[in-house]
Amino acid sequence: MKRTLAGSLLLLTALAGCGSDPAQDASGSKELEVLYRVEPTWPHLEKMLTGAKKQYEAAHPGVKVKLTAVQGNNEAYYTKLALLNRSPDSAPDLYYHDTFQVNADVAAGKLAPLDDYLAKWPDWNTQFPDSVKQAAKGTDGKIYGVPVSTDTRGLWYQKDVFAKAGLPVPWEPKTWNDVLTAARTIKQKVPGVIPFTMYSTKIHGEASTMQGFEMLLYGTPGGTLYDETQKKWVAGGKNFTDALTFINTIYREELGPKQADAHNAKLGDKITLEWFPQAELGISLDGAWASSAWKATGTKPWPQWTEKIGWTPMPTQNGEPPGAVSMSGGWVMAMSAYTQNKQEAFDFITVATNKENSMVYSVGTGDLTARKDVAADPKYTEGNPSIKFWTDLASVTHYRPAFEEYPKVSTEIQEAMEAVTTGAQTPEEATAAYVKALPAAVGGPDKVLAR
Amino acid sequence: MTVATAPQSPPVTSPPARGPARRGALRWILPLGPALVLLALFLAGPILWSVYIAFTNETLTGSASVNSQFVGFANFVKLFGDPSFLNSFFLTFVFVIGSAVIGQNTLGLIIALLQRGRGRVTRSVVNGVVIAAWVVPEVVAAACWFSFLAEDGTLNTVLRIEQEWLYTAPMVAVILANIWRGTAFSMLVYSAALSEVPADLVEAAAVDGAGPGRRLLHITLPLIRRSIMANLMLITLQTLASFGLIYALTGGGPGTASQTTPLYMYEQAFRYFEIGYGSAIALVLLVIGALFSLVYLRLIKVEEGA
Repeated sequence: MKRTLAGSLLLLTALAGCGSDPAQDASGSKELEVLYRVEPTWPHLEKMLTGAKKQYEAAHPGVKVKLTAVQGNNEAYYTKLALLNRSPDSAPDLYYHDTFQVNADVAAGKLAPLDDYLAKWPDWNTQFPDSVKQAAKGTDGKIYGVPVSTDTRGLWYQKDVFAKAGLPVPWEPKTWNDVLTAARTIKQKVPGVIPFTMYSTKIHGEASTMQGFEMLLYGTPGGTLYDETQKKWVAGGKNFTDALTFINTIYREELGPKQADAHNAKLGDKITLEWFPQAELGISLDGAWASSAWKATGTKPWPQWTEKIGWTPMPTQNGEPPGAVSMSGGWVMAMSAYTQNKQEAFDFITVATNKENSMVYSVGTGDLTARKDVAADPKYTEGNPSIKFWTDLASVTHYRPAFEEYPKVSTEIQEAMEAVTTGAQTPEEATAAYVKALPAAVGGPDKVLAR
Repeated sequence: MTVATAPQSPPVTSPPARGPARRGALRWILPLGPALVLLALFLAGPILWSVYIAFTNETLTGSASVNSQFVGFANFVKLFGDPSFLNSFFLTFVFVIGSAVIGQNTLGLIIALLQRGRGRVTRSVVNGVVIAAWVVPEVVAAACWFSFLAEDGTLNTVLRIEQEWLYTAPMVAVILANIWRGTAFSMLVYSAALSEVPADLVEAAAVDGAGPGRRLLHITLPLIRRSIMANLMLITLQTLASFGLIYALTGGGPGTASQTTPLYMYEQAFRYFEIGYGSAIALVLLVIGALFSLVYLRLIKVEEGA
């Protein structure tokens, strides 16, 4: 027994010895590693970055760009990125980054501020509107990423379903009640059709918080997660309960998808690839990008979508001014604080976010462009009559309080939403649970504002 | 693994004694040294680190990732007041008892018993099928079960019903999948143990008029009881730590309906980036595993002492 053990240990030593010779970079050429996300139904970023790599390498001999893909949804991407970022050795030089994660990484010292480089890049001042520039602004006022895209959120609806239900088209709901009434009418008049969908479970992560909950909360009078004047997180209150009550109504009155679908990671694909094209869904609370799948080059080409699908703003709770609500987020290209080649890395950002590549990305994903020259180009709006509508929603849009604590707050919101979705808790109970959990999430009761 | 099969076998594996340790420690330190250093570095190091961070507020990103603080037992206090953890703990218990102690163990024993005295062809086929499920990687097994149980999956198509198994009965789904996948191990352990049961003893009992049930209960089972204990211990530990199968099949959902402790730990550590809290959960899981092993080992000891 002992001898076997010793033998296997020796073998282990030998094996470890073989592996312990780290590959030295002999060529002397520089390499930039770019981390990004890809899914079979979402190849757009990969396409854009592959193009950018070619252009960049042609213009910068001696620098190689290594594209590293993370297969999976956003949540999988956040995890992979956070783990790679744990060590300077494994951290990518550049990465595609969700704006709400930026401040946590700034606090951890993982991101490099770009201000010095941006000052010398003419596009930054001529092509990026001020509102968009804020996307990746740290709490220290510095800029930590160049926006790849931005977005707004609202309601999509199926006109055939509306016609069958005897509902008016174009549809212009003024209050939450108008939305619920339309959903009830669909349930009653068009059996078998799902009246309304929204993301409301943990599996959809940030999409639930932002497309779902915040679209409701920020449409209530004075509804917000964070009080800017007192610099405190708002603990529940009537606004919070009202938003949850809307979700509760959807599921208790069975106006939403079946529970199994509400908890299905592929709910978004079901909506765009199946339910809307097959007229099995009435209304969907979602983002500007939802129609991208239906383009000729999309995953589910559906040329009739421009006639079959309508879009309208999500109304405020009781029609309070400005009458509509939207949330905006978006993704940026960010630079690691650990990168050895900062200027080269920044140059790659400028290539990736130039007009041509921004166009490829926006046309592919259906996200709104961050650049003025792309927005002005007819190619950008070609074949998508909804773009102007989504772009104009910027006038009523809100941004998330993307502080370091935000991801944790978002988690607690998802808990509350899911409890209401399944019916495990009433809206009041879920709000109470949120109020109880909030201090720990934001770093102490002194950072919480009781409502 | 040798523990499982060894108890009944005569000591053929032990090498002839050669008087070790007498000729100085150098004899073993020299060849073992490098391996020990490597083990300390790559095995003990991370383990100690994870024990340490269980007592800190370390996170994967954010300010706590650069200056984490020692928080004493705060993570553990939070843990035992955390309804999600207690829920996961209960589900883990159900999962271990349902899929390992009852499912794999009993099914493995039954298959092993039924195979005694069958032809080679039958045995090869049955063994092949059962072991194939074991050899399949966890994620593949989960994908198979997903397509079997999904709303438009095989089961519903064959039965011509609409039932969302993974939503309405997620624990049943993961337990069934784990039984399907893990039975082979118990079957192999019991096949080996049963082959050690002296045939003449069983025959003698039969001659004395004991029926098959009686022979099983009073002859066979008592003779293989130590294998039973060893098998129970091993599959309990395997099942306690099971992650991939559940993660790929239900993701712990819907909601937290199948979120066993390893899944809860993953969610806290790698999705919400609370690596300190996640490590605390891991430690608790380790202690639970150790407790289970102690109980089983004690039972085996009692047997041996008797």
